[in-house]
Amino acid sequence: MRTLLIIPFILFFSACTQEQPKPNKPLTEEEKKFTFSPAGQLVPAKSGQGRNGDNYIYAPGIRFPIESAPAYLNSQVYGIGGLYGARGSLCNEKNYQYPWHDNYCEKRRWGMPLCSGGKGHQGVDIRTATCEKNKYYAVAVEDGIITYIGKYTVKLRGKSGRTYRYLHLDSPSVLVKKGEKVNRGDRLGLVSNNMGSTKTSIHLHFDIKETIKINGKSTKVYVPPYTSLVDAYKRLLRGNP
Amino acid sequence: MRRLLILPLLFGILSADSGILDIKWPKPNAKHLKPSTPYPKVLTEGIKDVRLPVYIPNSYAYIKNMVVIADKNFYTISFPFKGATVTISGDRTYQESVSNKQEFKAILKAIPPVTFEQEEGIMTSEFNRHGVNYSMEIECDKPQRDKRCTDTKLIKELYSRLIMVGGHP
Repeated sequence: MRTLLIIPFILFFSACTQEQPKPNKPLTEEEKKFTFSPAGQLVPAKSGQGRNGDNYIYAPGIRFPIESAPAYLNSQVYGIGGLYGARGSLCNEKNYQYPWHDNYCEKRRWGMPLCSGGKGHQGVDIRTATCEKNKYYAVAVEDGIITYIGKYTVKLRGKSGRTYRYLHLDSPSVLVKKGEKVNRGDRLGLVSNNMGSTKTSIHLHFDIKETIKINGKSTKVYVPPYTSLVDAYKRLLRGNP
Repeated sequence: MRRLLILPLLFGILSADSGILDIKWPKPNAKHLKPSTPYPKVLTEGIKDVRLPVYIPNSYAYIKNMVVIADKNFYTISFPFKGATVTISGDRTYQESVSNKQEFKAILKAIPPVTFEQEEGIMTSEFNRHGVNYSMEIECDKPQRDKRCTDTKLIKELYSRLIMVGGHP
């Protein structure tokens, strides 16, 4: 009974001592510019069927995987100069503009359980601030360990157990080794167009793999990264990555 | 932002309930666990604390320049393979749980016990054994031209040669 009487006092005291929110910093120019289309809305429409309405943040609190803003999340394949995109240069300025467009589940040949029809892009493609390779660093999105470095792949297993995959980094620029522990924000390597002997456009392919337990069974799947990245990017722009 | 967080709760879609998966331990093959030719130290030392069945394609268990990264709940073993890198990983953690989302139940039902396919130029196999999720990958230096990364023949062969070399409850 005495405990019950004490609780209101504790709550009152805690409310009084709670830190007052700091006045909001004015928006930076980049924050004012930043816009993004809804999760799952793929552009152009012919590029596939996204997970419309899935606004769940699968990897909450991660850091944005590119060190600095701006960055532009949009399709490589269906963007200007892409394989199925409008004619033009991959470096066309329209590829380097907001709004962001989700490209998880964009048409691909390979299996993707969470995409409509069971096939699609397992991650998202992100362009750096400018169309220059080997200039912008990809960074660790959470504390963890580097589990794999291939010809064009770096894998980070975060403390959360999620695996983050970074594709197309410039191999000689990779700063980490297999088995190395990294902290959130540590540089991994420079974003490039490396895909082994075949070159791709200058971008970072980023995906998140996690295990989902379903009534006692489980499966490991690539989950939608878009909402996690929108959230992370907003924090980056706020100066609080 | 708040709406983003509330929506999944309303619909009971997913919960960020992480944990460790239960394992149905297989009956080990003594010859595989303690072969006449001992496995290299890099393997035995690397997996000594792993608490899930550790699989690797049989002859590859003797490659001395493999890299083993592991803790009690996961392992990744990778080794160079003449212009390619082969990796096998096992993981007994989960990051989300679903109880009443029909979509995910359907997804689980639709996933075959083992898959073999190329994605992003990387030949991949995914499978679940004893309640643990495993993946095997071949990443080629020349992904568009190297048959090991364009044809499923090698990865299927590696899959068929998997043996349990360690791990303990």
